[in-house]
Amino acid sequence: MVSSLAVDITPSSKAFKLFFNHEQIRTMSRVKRRTTHPPYWHVLKNNQRDDEKISSDNLRFVREVIQDKYKNKSPIKGSDLGIEKTEWDPKTKRSGVIARNIGMQHMWEKDGKKIICTVLQVLDNHVIRYVPPEEYANSVIGAKMFKNRKPLGCLVVGAEATNPDRFTRQYCSLFNEVGLLPKKRLARFIVTPNAALPPCTPLTAGHFVIGQAVDVYGKTIDYGFQGVVKRWGFKGGPASHGATKFHRRGGTIGTGRDKARVWPGQKMPGHMGSERRFNRGLKIVRINMKYNIVYVKGTVPGPTNSIVQIFDTILPRRKFTEAPPHPTYFPPEDGTLPQEDIWDSSLHVFGSPSISV
Amino acid sequence: MAIVEHLASLLRKPIETSDEAGERSVSTQKTGDESGNTVIVAPPEFRFMYPEFLPDPAPETRNRLREKLERMDMLQRRSVIEIPEFYTGSIMAVTVADANSPNKFARFVGICIQRGGSGLRAWFILRNVVDKQGVEILYEMYCPLIQKIEVLRLERRLDESLLYLRDALPEYSTFPLNMEQERRLNNSVVPINPIKVKLRPRPWLERWERQNLQGVEDLNLPQRFYDKAEKVAKPWEKYDLMLHYRKTIPAEEQEKIFAEVHSQLQQQELKRKLRRRRGFDNEQ
Repeated sequence: MVSSLAVDITPSSKAFKLFFNHEQIRTMSRVKRRTTHPPYWHVLKNNQRDDEKISSDNLRFVREVIQDKYKNKSPIKGSDLGIEKTEWDPKTKRSGVIARNIGMQHMWEKDGKKIICTVLQVLDNHVIRYVPPEEYANSVIGAKMFKNRKPLGCLVVGAEATNPDRFTRQYCSLFNEVGLLPKKRLARFIVTPNAALPPCTPLTAGHFVIGQAVDVYGKTIDYGFQGVVKRWGFKGGPASHGATKFHRRGGTIGTGRDKARVWPGQKMPGHMGSERRFNRGLKIVRINMKYNIVYVKGTVPGPTNSIVQIFDTILPRRKFTEAPPHPTYFPPEDGTLPQEDIWDSSLHVFGSPSISV
Repeated sequence: MAIVEHLASLLRKPIETSDEAGERSVSTQKTGDESGNTVIVAPPEFRFMYPEFLPDPAPETRNRLREKLERMDMLQRRSVIEIPEFYTGSIMAVTVADANSPNKFARFVGICIQRGGSGLRAWFILRNVVDKQGVEILYEMYCPLIQKIEVLRLERRLDESLLYLRDALPEYSTFPLNMEQERRLNNSVVPINPIKVKLRPRPWLERWERQNLQGVEDLNLPQRFYDKAEKVAKPWEKYDLMLHYRKTIPAEEQEKIFAEVHSQLQQQELKRKLRRRRGFDNEQ
C-alpha cells in the first residue's frame, strides 16, 4: 500500500524511475498516528470547578439526593427486558464488553506445558443506548464507516459507576434516560440489529464462551519520549573503540542524491506508545462467574490496571460455529447459580491431581 | 478407632501439636478487634515459611483482586501436593513427571541455592554435583508436573543466596542422590548452618568480594580488590528506609494476606498428619 504523494508516479513519468529505484517504500508517512483530545461532539466530562467549601449538612443532603435519584433497582431478569427472541446466525455481530486488565497469571495445560494468561476483570457494564442502523449511518463516524456498506447498529455501553459529583451536568444527563449512576467509561460496539440490547442490560463475564477466540482492544503502554534505539530498534553505535558521542543515535537520515531531502516517515526519536492496538484471536481459557473474571491466553495491549475492550473475534477461522449466549448471557430464572469457575478442557485444574506423563 | 477420634477432635481445636517436620509451634493467636470479636491472626513466622504468598511489591503491577484469586489457586494446588517449608541451604528432593525417563518420573536431590518469584510463579533452584558435573535445576513450585517435594534436611545458611557454590570446591555442593530424610532435632527452631565455604581460585563468575558474603571463607585477594569494592559499595543503602519500604509489602498487608490463607493452610496440614498417622497405623 503506497501512500499518496504529490508526485506523479505513473510508469510513464520521470519520477517513476526515481521513486521505484529506492528500496524502501514509505508507507504510513502522512498518517496521523494518534489524537489525544476527544472529538468535538463529546460533552465536557470531568467536573471543572474546585472543591467548594460545602458544609457537612449540605453535603449529607446532596448525598441523600443522589441516593434517592439512583435508588437500587431489582436485578434485571432476561424476561423483563422485552428482548424479542432473535435468532443467531453466523453473520451476527454481538456486543463487546469493557474490562480491566488486572494482571497476568501462569496456568498449565494438561500435558504440563506452561501458558501465560492475562486476567481481565469484566467491570459493571450496562447498556446505555442503542442507536439503530439508519440513525447511526447519519452520524459523523457512522457515515465514514458505512460509506459503501450496509449500515449496522451501535450499542453504547458504560462501565464503572461513580459518584455524579465528579462529572459535569451535561455528562450526567447522558445517563438520565436509563436512570443509572454515571459511568466513568463509555464505549461503542457495532452490532447487527438482531443483537441489539435494550438500555440497562447488564453485561457480565458469562457473555463469553469457554474456548472462544476474542479480540482485545487497548492502548499500548506509554513509554513517553523515546530514542531511536528503543522506539525503532536501531542498533546505535559501538560502545567503545573510540566512538565519539555516537552510542544511541540514529546515524544517517537520507542519501543526498535521490529526492535530496528527508523523506516523510523517517524514523526518529519521538513519543512512543499510547497507541490503539488490537490483539486478535486470543483464546478464553477460564471464566470465573463469581468475580466476573475472564482469563485469556496470551497478552493484551496496555499496562496492568488499564481498561480494554473485548470483542468476539473477526478472524474468519476462529469465529463461532455454534450459537453463543445471544444477544447476551442472563443468569437462569429459576435461581440456580451458574458454575462458579469454568475451565477450558485443555487446562489443568489446580485442585486436580498432579500430571503424570 | 480411638486414635482416629482423637485426631478428629484435634481438627476442631486450635493446633497445639509440634511433632512433624515442617511445623513449628504454630499457635493461632486470637486477638480482639474493636467490636470485641476474636480475629484470627497468622503467626509472624508465616512470612518466612510461605514467602511466595506475598505479591511482588512493584506498584505498577499490583492488583488486590488478582492477587486474591492467585492465592486461591495456590491453596488449591497445595491441597493436592505438600509443598513443605524450606529455605536456601535446605537439601531437598523433587520428583517430576518426565516423559523421557525410564519409569516416567525423575527424582533430583540437591541443595536449594536460591528461591524467588511470587504467587504461582514461585521457583527455587536445586544444585548438586553428579559424576563430577555440577547440575542446577530450576523448579516452579506450583507446576502440576511435580509429584513430590521432600525436604531431606531443613536448615538455613548464613546467606540468602548460595550462588557462590558455583565457584566453591565441589564437595560443598555434593549430596548423595539416595539421601534419606533426616529427623529434626528441634521442631521450633530452624538451625542455621554456620559453615564457611572454601572457594576455588579465581576467575569467578561474580565478584564475591563486593557482596558481603557471610558463608565463605576469607577470600585472600590482593588489597586492590577490596579497595575497589569499597569505592563501588553503597553503604548508605542500609539507612535508606524508603528503599526497603519499596522492596517489601507493608506489615499490615502481610497480616491481612496471611490471615486469609492461614486457616486453609492449617486445615491442609492437619489432614496430611491424619493421613500419615493412618498410614503408619495401617502398616502396623
